[in-house]
Amino acid sequence: MIAGVAICPPAPLLARELTGLDPVIPELRQACAAAAGRLVKSSPEVIAVVGPGRRTAVWPADGRLNLAAFGPALGTRDTSTGPTPRPLPLPLGLGARLLDEAGYTGPRLLQSVHQDEPSAACLRLGADLRTLADRVGLLVMADGSACRSLRAPGYLDPRAAAFDAAIEGAVRSGDLGPLRAMDQGLARELLAAGRPGWQVLAGAMPGRAPSTEILYADDPFGVFYLVSWLAGE
Amino acid sequence: MTGQGGFGGMGPPEPGGPGGVVPPGQAERTLRLGGRSFGPQQRLVMAIVNRTPDSFYDRGATWEETAAMERVHEVVAEGADIVDIGGVPAAPGTEVTVAEEIRRTVPFVAAVRAAYPDLVISVDTWRHQTARELCAAGGDLLNDTWGGWDERLPEVAAEYGAGLVCSHAGGLPPRTRPYRVEYDDVMADVLERTLALADRAVTQGVDPSRVLIDPAHDFGKNTWHSLEVTRRLGEMVATGWPVLVSLSHKDFIGETLNAGRDERLSGTLATTAVCAWLGARVFRAHQVTQTRQVLDMVSAIQGDRAPSRAVRGLA
Repeated sequence: MIAGVAICPPAPLLARELTGLDPVIPELRQACAAAAGRLVKSSPEVIAVVGPGRRTAVWPADGRLNLAAFGPALGTRDTSTGPTPRPLPLPLGLGARLLDEAGYTGPRLLQSVHQDEPSAACLRLGADLRTLADRVGLLVMADGSACRSLRAPGYLDPRAAAFDAAIEGAVRSGDLGPLRAMDQGLARELLAAGRPGWQVLAGAMPGRAPSTEILYADDPFGVFYLVSWLAGE
Repeated sequence: MTGQGGFGGMGPPEPGGPGGVVPPGQAERTLRLGGRSFGPQQRLVMAIVNRTPDSFYDRGATWEETAAMERVHEVVAEGADIVDIGGVPAAPGTEVTVAEEIRRTVPFVAAVRAAYPDLVISVDTWRHQTARELCAAGGDLLNDTWGGWDERLPEVAAEYGAGLVCSHAGGLPPRTRPYRVEYDDVMADVLERTLALADRAVTQGVDPSRVLIDPAHDFGKNTWHSLEVTRRLGEMVATGWPVLVSLSHKDFIGETLNAGRDERLSGTLATTAVCAWLGARVFRAHQVTQTRQVLDMVSAIQGDRAPSRAVRGLA
């Protein structure tokens, strides 16, 4: 059973260090911290963090954020003790940090999902996560398109607004059904890295979420960020 | 002194190094562009002349052909060694077809060639069809900013005896922006890709003394990545291939200094100085006079160039 779901974007700039001297977007980080806080307070027996990655895999639960791949000067690359373990995919590292900062010390499962993982596999993965324990907390690192303006990473795509509105509508209503049918090809064209995460979520919560709360919904850089909290069943 | 002396990793490239093809050795590191030859101590200014209505910095200032030719006269008078003529902006936007790119650039390159028979003309394109027309019109160097996206570009360079810039765009398609790009080691990726492109170029018949490598700041990189490749530029120089850098007013400078489009000259020149000090040889720039001064100053500090006039304390 799902104890609760926190949704946060897997955006590198969620890591405060990466934006340099300017915090740039503190309200987004505050919203994510609030969502993670609600998740931890929902008394889960285990929290599963789900985010996009280069492959579908479970990562060591003690893995932590390493920013070397995005900010070489910021990363920890200690070569004095031999080869270092491969760092977590950034979305999972960000999720792990959110849990740490929310004071969570219980069991955690860090699950990356490949960008091209078929919808059916994502839904199945969600259903599996649902049965991990009696009370499973879910931290979904997912966001929308990156094509919402001329300055957006993927430039302006007229299809982006409707794509993102469908995600937001599903989360707002608590009826996650529409996420099951997300168009994988369109998601790829719109640089919507969150697609696998949304579908894992849909697989984990086949029923309607009893209540949902949107903590942040905006696109300051042409990428649609949605931070929200879904109460458990 | 040798000019490059005293800096780490400057030895001749190891035979059978990462690129396979052995680049010109330390002694014969002459760069040939058009009919001219440049020694390892010469630092060259490549002046940007855009034939676009919408490039990010000049915003179409040289869109009109007369304005563009005026700009060429100006940069030549200011001491540019190379002009770099392009017809397609790097940023995404309205499609510029091959035919339109040719229309924008080919007659202009021909006119510049007619006006300046000895000037080195670089053409900024990633498409072999355009490149072929531009070489026929007088282009000496193909500046392929998009990292070898069109595999037939070296074939054109070889056919016309032109040079080729082998740059790193992280595998991004032309005219796209980086989005959450990550590298295990950005400089390792830059070296792997640019050396492979240089290798491919030489294999396809491009004269090795006409091949340059370029880390391509901002292309497929966030600001931290561009700072890292700047800091570690010596690793590219150490390969033996001449290094070109294109820094002028780019976003990594704007983000580093919180500087708008019109406030990035100091950052551009500071980065230019660092890259020159680390051994880069060609500098693509908007401001020729200032860039020339920075390069001359660095050359003087490194001992490659005598002061223009030294009388202080010497009378």
